[in-house]
Amino acid sequence: MELTIEENKMLDGEYGPLVSHALRKTIDYGLLVEAERLCDVTMAHLFCGAHPYLEAYPATNFDEAHSEMSFVGPKDLVFDRLSPHCRCQSDVFPLPANDWEAMTGDLDKARLNDLYLGRFAAMGVRLVGTCVPYLAGFIPMPGEHYVSSESHAVLLMNSLWGACGHSDGIESGFWAAVCGKTPLWGLHDPAQRKGTRLYAVEARLGTTHDWDLFGHAAGLKIPPHEIPVFVKFPRPDIHGLKSAMASMATTSGVELSHFLGLGPEAPTLEAVLRPGASKEITVISAGDLEDSRAYLSCGRRVPVDYVSVGCPHLTIHQLGEVADFLGGRKVSANTVTHVWTAAPFKETADRSGITKSIESSGARLLTNTCPLVSGILPQGARSLAFDSGKQAHYMKSETDCLISYGSTMDCLKTALSGVWEGATG
Amino acid sequence: MKPLIIRGRGLVGGRAAGPAMVSRRAISGWSGLDEKTGLVIEKGHPFEGRSIKDKVLVLSGGKGSNGWSVHFHAAKVRGIGPAALVLPKLDSRLAVTVAVLGLPAITDLESDPFEAIDVDAHVVVDADQGFVEIHRM
Repeated sequence: MELTIEENKMLDGEYGPLVSHALRKTIDYGLLVEAERLCDVTMAHLFCGAHPYLEAYPATNFDEAHSEMSFVGPKDLVFDRLSPHCRCQSDVFPLPANDWEAMTGDLDKARLNDLYLGRFAAMGVRLVGTCVPYLAGFIPMPGEHYVSSESHAVLLMNSLWGACGHSDGIESGFWAAVCGKTPLWGLHDPAQRKGTRLYAVEARLGTTHDWDLFGHAAGLKIPPHEIPVFVKFPRPDIHGLKSAMASMATTSGVELSHFLGLGPEAPTLEAVLRPGASKEITVISAGDLEDSRAYLSCGRRVPVDYVSVGCPHLTIHQLGEVADFLGGRKVSANTVTHVWTAAPFKETADRSGITKSIESSGARLLTNTCPLVSGILPQGARSLAFDSGKQAHYMKSETDCLISYGSTMDCLKTALSGVWEGATG
Repeated sequence: MKPLIIRGRGLVGGRAAGPAMVSRRAISGWSGLDEKTGLVIEKGHPFEGRSIKDKVLVLSGGKGSNGWSVHFHAAKVRGIGPAALVLPKLDSRLAVTVAVLGLPAITDLESDPFEAIDVDAHVVVDADQGFVEIHRM
């Protein structure tokens, strides 16, 4: 691989062992994919906190745990710095930042998480703690190289405005944030970003929930390594796309989807399609959406113990809709109801009277995580309802709980009655 | 029966062998692999309920959360990871996983391993020499 003078200095240890090691791992990754050079990473969205996967390594020492689990390096590696050229903010945490006791009574876990987050803050990671970083200031420009640990954020930022990132994991994100480099390959290379397969949506996508279902159904029809081009689709808004990208990145490995006439790289079919690619069109039909619904939701009027809305994290406008819908009515005493958002939006919700309105119903407005990432459900919960194909899909594998899935309003109606109020059958 | 040899590009050196787990269907890392048991938990996946421990995984691609590699990494750290990886085409999730696991792995194969390798066939991955040796039953 061709390295710059600066990269050689890093590798030789001029900036310390951590930077040298992070660059070595980045080069290892680049050699696997036959990258000839590295490129500069200017933004990193990092998976910070005492997340459950770190427990594989039997140490609660921040540096030792990260030496193995993040850097695959020597035990004495000290994780204390990030590249000065890379702006870093955190992805979701393993516990709600505003009220960890709402999810767990485990004080040790909360203390360890605070300790880990403190180390990241000291390095200069801004502890935003959301899966929707692009709504909280993490906006890589078209052509700008970034890393992110959130699959739907990668898909959305690459697709909607031509940012350059991969779904390449948590460890490589830390490597890039420390050395400021990632291999120049795949979606970092403009020549490799053309679409490979055509799709058309033959279904009505009127609501955010319709888009969520569409994403799940479309992902099932996107084989590995493909870059889809949607040639026919209804015009989305940001809420619809946010949900569609989340569920599409659940059922597929897709990292870039072109929407003809929407993204900057898809002005015309000729411009966006890889030369020689088939012009055959795969249809995403109303029947496909129904199949996804039938898969994701038990579809029966069952009692529900736990309602969780807000995956991906709700925007301030969505929080306002939740508050307006609840309108001060009380949620069922038999149902725990959590509404998830990012801390910056919660702060705005506090000031706008939205938090008070939501919480007067008995629901909780929580920040910075979700049931899936925390791996925690309210004690004894056996019947769960979600407004997200991503949560519902993964929870079907993670738990043997009964799962119901529908729109945010279906879930809130359920919270009020304690019984599933969405589609049945 | 004489073993079948498929040549390819060795990714990480070394030689390892084990029974094959083969699927053209991409697999989830997040909510796909239970890193505490080594069992695949992805509902409806052909691997569901099977352990990856000491297996040769023949995979088409990753899907789902970007936290794909950490689950295979955590399984390896717990001593219940796979023996080797056969990956006809790399995507970003797979490539980083190879860099993290440091296990014998091979790509760019000269013929389709999904056709050639039966589930549970004994497979040797020689990433130093760049070949997969398939012992057919």
